[in-house]
Amino acid sequence: MSAPPGLLQGTSPGLTLARRSLALTLLCLLLLPFADLRIIAVDPWGELWRMVQGFVWPDFVALESPLRAIVLTVSVALWGTLIGALLGFPLALIFHRSRLVRAFCAFVRAIHELFWALLFLQVFGLSAVTALAALAIPYAGIFAKVYAEILELTPKAPTEALPAGTDRLSRFLYAELPLAWERLASYTRYRFECAMRASVLLGFVGLPTLGFYLESAFREGRFGEAGALLWLFYALVATLQWWGHRRLLLPLLIGALFFLGPWPDVDGDLLWRFVSHDLWPAPLLDGNLAGLGPWLSSLPDLLPAIGNTLLLALMGTVGSLILALLLWPLASVHFGRPWQRFGGRLLLVVLRSTPELMLAFIFLLMLGPSMLPAWLALALHNGAVIAFLVARHADGLTIGMAGLPASGRYAYELLPRLYPNLLALLCYRAEVIMRETALLGMLGVATLGFYIDSSFQYLMFDHAFFLLLVTAALNIAIDAISRRFRPREVPLDDPCSR
Amino acid sequence: MPLLTFDSADLGYGTQVVLPALTLSLEAGERVALLGQSGAGKSTLLAEIRRRLGNTAAWCPQGYGLVPLLSVYHNIYMGQLERHTALSNLCNLLKPRRQAWQAIETLAGELGLEGLLRRPVAQLSGGQRQRVAIARAFYQQREVFLGDEPLASVDPHQALRLLAHIQTRHASSIVALHQHRLALAHFDRIVGLRDGRVVLNAPACELTLAHLDALYPDAGKSSRETEVDATT
Repeated sequence: MSAPPGLLQGTSPGLTLARRSLALTLLCLLLLPFADLRIIAVDPWGELWRMVQGFVWPDFVALESPLRAIVLTVSVALWGTLIGALLGFPLALIFHRSRLVRAFCAFVRAIHELFWALLFLQVFGLSAVTALAALAIPYAGIFAKVYAEILELTPKAPTEALPAGTDRLSRFLYAELPLAWERLASYTRYRFECAMRASVLLGFVGLPTLGFYLESAFREGRFGEAGALLWLFYALVATLQWWGHRRLLLPLLIGALFFLGPWPDVDGDLLWRFVSHDLWPAPLLDGNLAGLGPWLSSLPDLLPAIGNTLLLALMGTVGSLILALLLWPLASVHFGRPWQRFGGRLLLVVLRSTPELMLAFIFLLMLGPSMLPAWLALALHNGAVIAFLVARHADGLTIGMAGLPASGRYAYELLPRLYPNLLALLCYRAEVIMRETALLGMLGVATLGFYIDSSFQYLMFDHAFFLLLVTAALNIAIDAISRRFRPREVPLDDPCSR
Repeated sequence: MPLLTFDSADLGYGTQVVLPALTLSLEAGERVALLGQSGAGKSTLLAEIRRRLGNTAAWCPQGYGLVPLLSVYHNIYMGQLERHTALSNLCNLLKPRRQAWQAIETLAGELGLEGLLRRPVAQLSGGQRQRVAIARAFYQQREVFLGDEPLASVDPHQALRLLAHIQTRHASSIVALHQHRLALAHFDRIVGLRDGRVVLNAPACELTLAHLDALYPDAGKSSRETEVDATT
């Protein structure tokens, strides 16, 4: 007789993944004492209660010109996505051939939309150009990468069937583009949904989109108004499939042009001064390399900021993993009654549609400025995103053995088949979480984003730009690491899940 | 006059040799059937023949190689993509050229695809797709027809009709197929492959169904015979 294998012993792929996830969780637990998780607010439950009240009894009458904010939010999202796609598409065609293009795309998408907005704000002010560039530039990098991946995956058979000597353009138009079209379009649509959230967020830096009114309503404790604005946003997202229909796209785009604004007067000299002078350390421009030492020491203390950023990213990733594991059965046909499922799905959609910064902001008002609200927001939002996709994947599976209890269905039938996919999604999300941790600094959590935001406020553009470069480098590193640990051969590789 | 000759050539993909030391000569004006079970090397041989013949051969690939989103017309038109400029191909995508449309309409009628020109290939049945793939090869208007199982998904009567079309339109044809009776009755020569070697190379009139069974691992068993009957 042989002894059964010990705890987590074995070489099956499931066990390998389980060991990996547990190691990640343990690492997070070990580092947790270093995180600042205090609750600073005096009366968090009272605050929550007032917010819930505002949400349940929204005060639509108090809203001033909500229509303008909504129209601007949609217009910015539409044109930002379109310009991003137009810039990204040609890049996608040379993406796999040029290392330079890949590096450029990795850089522009490593910096969050809001940071781009902060940067352009200095030159173009609170204008449409700032808003559009903030969306279009990082999206160009994202589109280039994802479009290139989609095009690479198109079946090769039709291309090989073409007569020899067919020119490159005709080959592309006849035998490649039509095969990829459906996926390209659905990814662009998904990116537009992301753009809607980002467009709302632009309000946090002062552009008059929905986020601007949301932030001031929350900050000033007008929760009825804030609740009304949130309801409007959810309604907008929920009805997207009707007003964002393919046929309405052209009229929407043309109509949006009339609402975009204001257009800035660009001062060429000022712009050139900003790009060539303000962004760079003065000693470097003077050719005084010895002066770089003092310049570096004048920077805010970087190591704790980087440490906090990485720690928050780790906590966010592990939190999302745990929440995704708990939440996905809520929206799956394999569990619960229809009405329970409806509730579960609604919860996930709401968590998924609320911008993370918004969630963090709400928790911040409730719990006070520490890492806790940021952690909760990251874990809830990204956990819900993953749970939603996993539930959809689970609904496509049929259970082999009928009559198992729920726990058996979860642990023996479904989870083993879903887990590689869940982990792959988490690895994609890790990069997103990293981008967002830096961003949450704008709410006062001492990550890199906090120092970027304050450098911009003190007009120290050289500092801000340097910190942005550090943030981008960190993101690219995290992306590379997560790509290494991503489970291969996952059944569902939908670009829209990223 | 030989169409092309292989003199102990190693054929394969990259470093992997599928057909080692192949010696084979194909004559112009000959109708050659290529037999053998899947994995025997038929597709490798056809790919190499296609590479050597270049644009003198029309090509009908295995599994059709069609673009589902495009219409039947555009898929057939792809047979002549290399004869027009990129700009005119682009315009044709937006508005079919009159001349090409009429030529393709005639061709489609001949192959039983009348009235389907505007329909996306995604909405066609397997047999219809097969005929679109053959029409695309015809539209190339070459002397030699190369087909990798171009009759795999049509019924026996249709296979016979399509084969007749293929052979009247092309002076030479080299076709991989599974239908043994069809191969014996309608081709000049039969080349049989097994495990990467040519094990059969003879005029069809000298062969019987029993000879062809030698190409399969369970050679000589009567079960093979009945299975072949069912597919021809």
